[in-house]
Amino acid sequence: MFGGLKEKLQAARGRLGSSIQTVITVPSGDGTGGAGQEPATEMEKTAVPPKTPAQPTIVDKFKVLLIERELIVSEKDVADALAELELTLLESDVALPATDAIIAHVRKSLVGKHRKLGESVDSLVVGALRSALLDVLGKGFDLLEYIRTHPRPVRILFTGVNGTGKTTTVAKIGSYLKKEGFSVVIGAGDTYRAGAIEQIGVHAERLGIKIIQHPEGGDPSAVLFDTVQYAQSHKIDVVLADTAGRFHNKSNLMSQLDKIRRVMKPDLVVYVDEAVAGNDAVIRASEFDKTIGADAVILTKADMDSRGGAAISIAHTIGKPLMFIGTGQSYDDIAPFEPALVVEELLGDA
Amino acid sequence: MAETMQPMDQRELMTLQHYLKEYGQQAEIFISQLEMLENGRMEAHAAIEALEGMMATEDGVVLLQIGAGASVRAKILEPDKVMLAIGAEVVVERKNKDAVEFLKERIMEMEASQKKVTETLNRLRSQMNEIEKRLEAGYQQSVAAVQE
Repeated sequence: MFGGLKEKLQAARGRLGSSIQTVITVPSGDGTGGAGQEPATEMEKTAVPPKTPAQPTIVDKFKVLLIERELIVSEKDVADALAELELTLLESDVALPATDAIIAHVRKSLVGKHRKLGESVDSLVVGALRSALLDVLGKGFDLLEYIRTHPRPVRILFTGVNGTGKTTTVAKIGSYLKKEGFSVVIGAGDTYRAGAIEQIGVHAERLGIKIIQHPEGGDPSAVLFDTVQYAQSHKIDVVLADTAGRFHNKSNLMSQLDKIRRVMKPDLVVYVDEAVAGNDAVIRASEFDKTIGADAVILTKADMDSRGGAAISIAHTIGKPLMFIGTGQSYDDIAPFEPALVVEELLGDA
Repeated sequence: MAETMQPMDQRELMTLQHYLKEYGQQAEIFISQLEMLENGRMEAHAAIEALEGMMATEDGVVLLQIGAGASVRAKILEPDKVMLAIGAEVVVERKNKDAVEFLKERIMEMEASQKKVTETLNRLRSQMNEIEKRLEAGYQQSVAAVQE
């Protein structure tokens, strides 16, 4: 998963490290670099804009280097490597706002940083990248904790565009919750697509989950209302409401979704899209959030996405957490999105 | 083998048909993804050919297709400067050579993705074959039962 991004981040990490490590000359008093002086390893570059208050002065650098035996990383040291990192992230389809946030975070973490002689440059760089990525990825969404701390039944409405694997995702979540000990009922709210009711019916039967269905072409609001009623009367923990895929610019379908929301009063509206759609998924999620609202996002087909752009950017760009990622065809191929694990995967040694 | 097989009831046959249908729908999605990847790959190859061709022409004159099979002669003012969509809806200016390198990398990425999608599709097809075999056996049993 995200193999291409991992490879590129490894390269970016190497470039950042080597630009900090670069052999440079001891600065002279005028700040232009000491002509005639011997190059010294691991010393600080000198060309720091003097008017920038955040930048350490030459005296500071010398003091730190000679007395405290530490080095300070300057903006210039990392400028080129950060520009390359920026392009790397954009090429991986990481949305511009998320890219900007990562670059700003890494710059802030590194510039002015005191590095003790002998301290690994790589650990400095990895630390900065890790904290930047964690910042952008957000905290994820612990669905189990949410269910445990909210009145039952917890009603979850799944929305999204066509063909992204929404119905399969509903089944996977049902399986996951059942294994975690929760009782589940599925509402077959996709009454529009031919075969959708059958499809979710087969999933439910295979998983041993109760399903509420109406005939094809029926009112999805009525199906999902009945599902909630069933859950209330049978003390079911979670209602999973499937809906027909739709594009955000189809106003009649979006108003139907709005009606569903009013009728079933979901506790959570979850937007489902495919990771392979990259930045398109981020844009669509944002549009859905504006039109109908979204509390969390699920990305499917992450196993086929080597770039990882959507997964990295979606939480930061639309401000809603990524809840699960789908990673394959079987019911177990879904995992709660855990930012720390993803970052370890991306920055861990290959 | 046929003798040891338990006869299938109608319900089981219907479930298998549903599975087959569902796998078929999934396979269609993967086939359309493969087509998209292939189109992207061919497009990138064509762009590389055009970029390299532009650098090779002496007068910088090319045929510019304007749709519906119509083309006009156009002069490329700066064949070494290419506006390139690198991802995330960001367009950057690159040198011709760098743009070609970028596109070659993209082709490699797309080929890797094609490989993964093809593997998944093959797995699905093999599952579909299994289901088809079981369905066929089930039908044969049903026919035999009716004839008896």
